[in-house]
Amino acid sequence: MDFNLSEDHQLLSNTLNRFLGDNYDIEKRNEAGFTAPYHLQDMWNGLAELGVIGALVSEEKGGFGGSAEDISVVFEELGRSLCVEPMLGTLLALRVLSDHGQDERVEQIISGESRAALAVYEPNMSCDLSAMEATAVEQDGVWRLNGRKSAIYGAPGSDFVVVAAKTESGTGLFFLENPVLICAAMVDGGGVADLVMENTAAECLALDAETSLTSALDLGRIALCAEAVGAMSALQDLTVDYLKQRKQFGTTLSSFQALQHRAVNMQIEIEQCRSIVISAVGQFGQPGGERNVSMAKNLIGRAGRLMSEESIQLHGGIGMTWEYPGAHFAKRLVMIDHQLGDQNDHAMRLIATGAKQLVD
Amino acid sequence: MDLEFNETELAFRDEVRAFMRSELPEDISRKVISGNELTRDDYMRWQAILNAKGWLATTWEEEYGGPGWDAVQRHIFSEESALHGAPRMPPFGLAMMGPVLIKFGTEEQKSTLLPRILDGSDWWCQGFSEPGAGSDLASMKMRAERDGDEYVLNGQKTWTTLGQYANKIFCLVRTASEGKPQASISFLLVDLDTPGVEMRPIRLIDGGYEVNEVFFTDVRVPVENLVGNENEGWTIAKYLLTHERTNIAGVGFSIMDLERYKTLAQEIKRDGMQLSDHPIYAARAAAIEADLEALRITNLRILAETRDGSAGGVGSSMLKLKGTQVRQELQDLYRSAIGPRAATLSSGLSHNEMSVPYDAGQAAQVYFLHRKLSIFGGSNEIQRNIVAKEMFRD
Amino acid sequence: MKALVPVKRVIDYNVKVRVKADGSGVDLANVKMSMNPFDEIAVEEAIRLKEAGKVDEIVAVSIGVKQAQETLRTALAMGADRAILVVATDDVHADIEPLAVAKILKAIVDEEQPGLVLCGKQAIDNDMNATGQMLSALLGWSQATFASEVDVEGNSAKITREVDGGLQTISVKMPAIVTVDLRLNEPRYASLPNIMKAKKKPLDEKSAADYGVDVSPRLEVVKTEEPAQRAAGITVGSVDELIEKLKEAGAV
Repeated sequence: MDFNLSEDHQLLSNTLNRFLGDNYDIEKRNEAGFTAPYHLQDMWNGLAELGVIGALVSEEKGGFGGSAEDISVVFEELGRSLCVEPMLGTLLALRVLSDHGQDERVEQIISGESRAALAVYEPNMSCDLSAMEATAVEQDGVWRLNGRKSAIYGAPGSDFVVVAAKTESGTGLFFLENPVLICAAMVDGGGVADLVMENTAAECLALDAETSLTSALDLGRIALCAEAVGAMSALQDLTVDYLKQRKQFGTTLSSFQALQHRAVNMQIEIEQCRSIVISAVGQFGQPGGERNVSMAKNLIGRAGRLMSEESIQLHGGIGMTWEYPGAHFAKRLVMIDHQLGDQNDHAMRLIATGAKQLVD
Repeated sequence: MDLEFNETELAFRDEVRAFMRSELPEDISRKVISGNELTRDDYMRWQAILNAKGWLATTWEEEYGGPGWDAVQRHIFSEESALHGAPRMPPFGLAMMGPVLIKFGTEEQKSTLLPRILDGSDWWCQGFSEPGAGSDLASMKMRAERDGDEYVLNGQKTWTTLGQYANKIFCLVRTASEGKPQASISFLLVDLDTPGVEMRPIRLIDGGYEVNEVFFTDVRVPVENLVGNENEGWTIAKYLLTHERTNIAGVGFSIMDLERYKTLAQEIKRDGMQLSDHPIYAARAAAIEADLEALRITNLRILAETRDGSAGGVGSSMLKLKGTQVRQELQDLYRSAIGPRAATLSSGLSHNEMSVPYDAGQAAQVYFLHRKLSIFGGSNEIQRNIVAKEMFRD
Repeated sequence: MKALVPVKRVIDYNVKVRVKADGSGVDLANVKMSMNPFDEIAVEEAIRLKEAGKVDEIVAVSIGVKQAQETLRTALAMGADRAILVVATDDVHADIEPLAVAKILKAIVDEEQPGLVLCGKQAIDNDMNATGQMLSALLGWSQATFASEVDVEGNSAKITREVDGGLQTISVKMPAIVTVDLRLNEPRYASLPNIMKAKKKPLDEKSAADYGVDVSPRLEVVKTEEPAQRAAGITVGSVDELIEKLKEAGAV
């Protein structure tokens, strides 16, 4: 039983923490996150140089890491500095590409030379892949896609998109170069896109990739949960500091018990979130491990909203301003729940996967 | 990062499991699992079995008859005890009086009293709270006036858990009238059969009797019964309140309760569907399951910090807070799940053996009784104060 | 030429330091620790000298608790070639004093025969600013402290020093000890591929006893206190009011 990071992970975490701390302040982040292409190419190149993109893929597939723990270490640091770089979309695309022998493309992405995103979700679909409506049909040796994809994270400015669509054999994966995207900023910064496909020609990577997709999405969920833990800790630091400094009625806010107790409740939820990420990371790839991922996403969804709302309330008016960094952390923590299935979707998944015996 | 126990710890867990399976009397575990009240005899039977094995006084050093376990072993033992439906042994003698005597007692006190705790000759109860002193313990008033070789006690203690089974009580008494309130408190041991001691049961919200009030009228106690020095009792009280408490998160209890709920949910129907498929119930259970899994890991993280000597001190407060919230939530879920039958006081107040596997009245009574979790052992508000003090330290 | 770079594990510069309740020192329980920032600059300079072909091997050394291994891994991940860990205590709160560190370093220099020792001008935990100077005295080598520019040419080095009045450039004979200042360079980040390569680089573990050095403290910490809190300021309406307030305070 040891809950300390390994030496490698500690060094990786330190490197990222310093790189982001030195080069990525909140003004720069807010500028980039809401202006196309919704991220900073310099930062992306820097992250690639540091090998951070490679941390998302295993060594035998050309990366430098690829374990659930590697991914959680990276995303916790990204969360701590509220990074809008398209790491989530890249993670999802990299995982399915590396699962399907796309070594050359994986190498290009890891080096920062090109960038990819994964199109899975649709307007009528959240977590459950079986609700997918987009189809792929082969006509005269060419695969043609139809349907609409939404919530393609990190797609603006990417060089290609991997699209999931229904085939006769299951959920297939298709490769689309220079896609025509409908791009937008997200409420909490960073880029997202929709993709409308009408007999769009694409290269087929796999006819039935459901296992690979589910695994990639679960890693994406672990990444989001770890990101949330990083963001929560940073937000809690801001909140506690503010309570200690801000004076009203001639005394600091931190001397009011009503506020103290709320801050304590937040701290306990952060510890719980950290624990559930450890649980999801530890169980990833084990039988039943997807339940721990869903527990994590469910808990983080609830705790994220608590952290967000309480931090705003404890700050008072300043917490409502665009200028205050805490406000952007608060937004991110609520919006994480909208990505890759929210607390309700994951409660449904927990229910559907049945009663796991807790006592053996 | 490694979430697993090491091989030695796993072997120890297996040993504890095997012991529980072969030695824990089934009639006792059935009562524990269903939330029935245990008799003094139930406790004493289990105590004798544990004592024979040398696993009774889990926090004591070996020289005094403890098993010599580390924090991880104690954790494993208490979790396995809960998971198998072993009684939670009343802490007053084993986890409170014993460690206090070992740390503050005279050689004479240790040699006479410790063995009596182990063999069950003494059942200790606690005399801390008073009608006017709950969370604010230092405001307690019960007086002990020195008269020759004796103290004369006058006053009242309350919330004395399982006092009806006890023959001895350890009390905080006021031995001086000047100075800071904390500096005039002493720690005194009293035989309950001393003239002038009267114990009256307090009937609780569930209709059962678990706690008592104790009245002291001119009770004469020999000065040798003092533990530590006169007016230094607050040090001992603080030691007890901050002493590492095992199983404070009650993860084992909650895991067992969740299993019990899941079994129930697969057996009964509501609104035309299996309870396990009922969207509202299932969603609540799923959220609790996530909270509980997180709590299990939080508990292990704090345990690892304790083992490595880097525990921050607020860990046990956090565990108490979240642990009691989860347990109370589970009791509420279970009570709701029973539905209309929960209104029936089926087994009356006698807590008889249950006639059905899921006793309806029991669920509601147990729910009400478990409101105590967030009040006793330092109320959850006191725990928040403790965490806040550390959090907002300059 | 071989360069020796001593690095120290200290409380991270971003952590708000808290004094232990009993005043015996700084509370280090569960606190993030990092490489002393000045030492990082020394490591970076050694790597740049190696990249410029003036140094062919960089040996990083750390003296302290076993956990300083992580600090050495950081140096290796930045680009040092191998590392020596001297475990001198198992108490994370113990600080090995400069003289003991300098004696151990002297023994290592005798063994390793480097042409240059590059170290931070001081550690940010105790701010002693002494180890480099003591080592120079023990070895009888030239020293150049507070370097903001290092230019090694053959048997001598030209060092620009940050002094109170401005900059001073001196020339020292090699072998030399150079202690580095903040503006010398900006240290690189350890990239993930290099972190992984660092795992395979040699790291020797030694003890203080291996070098026959007694590390028991010669200094006694009498008291540790947090700086006094600054009282809140006031806004004055005019120069006259300011002067009046200053008079009241006895400042003018």
